[in-house]
Amino acid sequence: MSAKRVVLLDNEAVQALRDPAHRKHQRVLGEVEVAFKRAVRTQRVRVAVPSAVRVEAGWDRTSPAWAFANRFPITDIPLDTGHADAAASIVRRMGVSVADAHLGAVIQAAGADRVTVLTSDPGDMRRVAEGRRVDVVAL
Amino acid sequence: MTREEAIDRINELLNSTDPATVNTSMRIPRALREAAALAVDELGVAPSATVMAANALRSLLEATVALANLELHYEEYPQFRPTLADLAVVAAEWDGSPLAQQPDLLRRYAEEIVQRHPHAEPEDVVLWAEAREYTAAEQKKDAGADPADQQGAA
Repeated sequence: MSAKRVVLLDNEAVQALRDPAHRKHQRVLGEVEVAFKRAVRTQRVRVAVPSAVRVEAGWDRTSPAWAFANRFPITDIPLDTGHADAAASIVRRMGVSVADAHLGAVIQAAGADRVTVLTSDPGDMRRVAEGRRVDVVAL
Repeated sequence: MTREEAIDRINELLNSTDPATVNTSMRIPRALREAAALAVDELGVAPSATVMAANALRSLLEATVALANLELHYEEYPQFRPTLADLAVVAAEWDGSPLAQQPDLLRRYAEEIVQRHPHAEPEDVVLWAEAREYTAAEQKKDAGADPADQQGAA
């Protein structure tokens, strides 16, 4: 059964989730809480992070510094051949970062009914979505 | 085992790629089993009732563990626990409700709803707020209507 809604994190959302000292920590916790409460109820919400975002954010799953974030079932979306091609094209045409381009590739290829992105840069997310319907939540 | 250790162990097990299976002695209601078999055979929701049950259990465990992780975090940092109103703003935003732009209004309705429903969910607040706002708008419309029109309608 595919997820009805996939919730994607950008670099700042990842940073804010990890660090209680981050000024958007509480905000991201609220987003994550709603996501997993809905997942309990409907079992059709998935929270995910494109691997290029994880690299940019420095999220090393083997590092104790990331223990709190690691305890959430946040799925990695690998930069596979298809995503790499799409992301390369986005970088070439829009000049965004590799992480944002990977987000764009994931948004465009997502099979979910709804895609939600938690981001500090709503403008860039709408741009890299290139017309694909996406719910952009500005942090 | 601490709750933190339990969460880590459950995550480890959920991430395991071990393909070994076990026959369980878990007893489930006969009617539920029959309903699952019908959903598989007639609605094609999963390749088998076993796959369907395993997927549902996995999804539930993952989400439950995530909420348990949050709860532990809030115990350590109570200042970060979002209020019901905070969560209602998130829910409104996700569902594209225009009330997401009126957090103060959602705060007021969140305070109102917990008086009668202490365990209200964020979505309940949004629904309650939308219903109250709709009613208020209708009442305002009626109050502003021409009395002659109202007589005619009667």
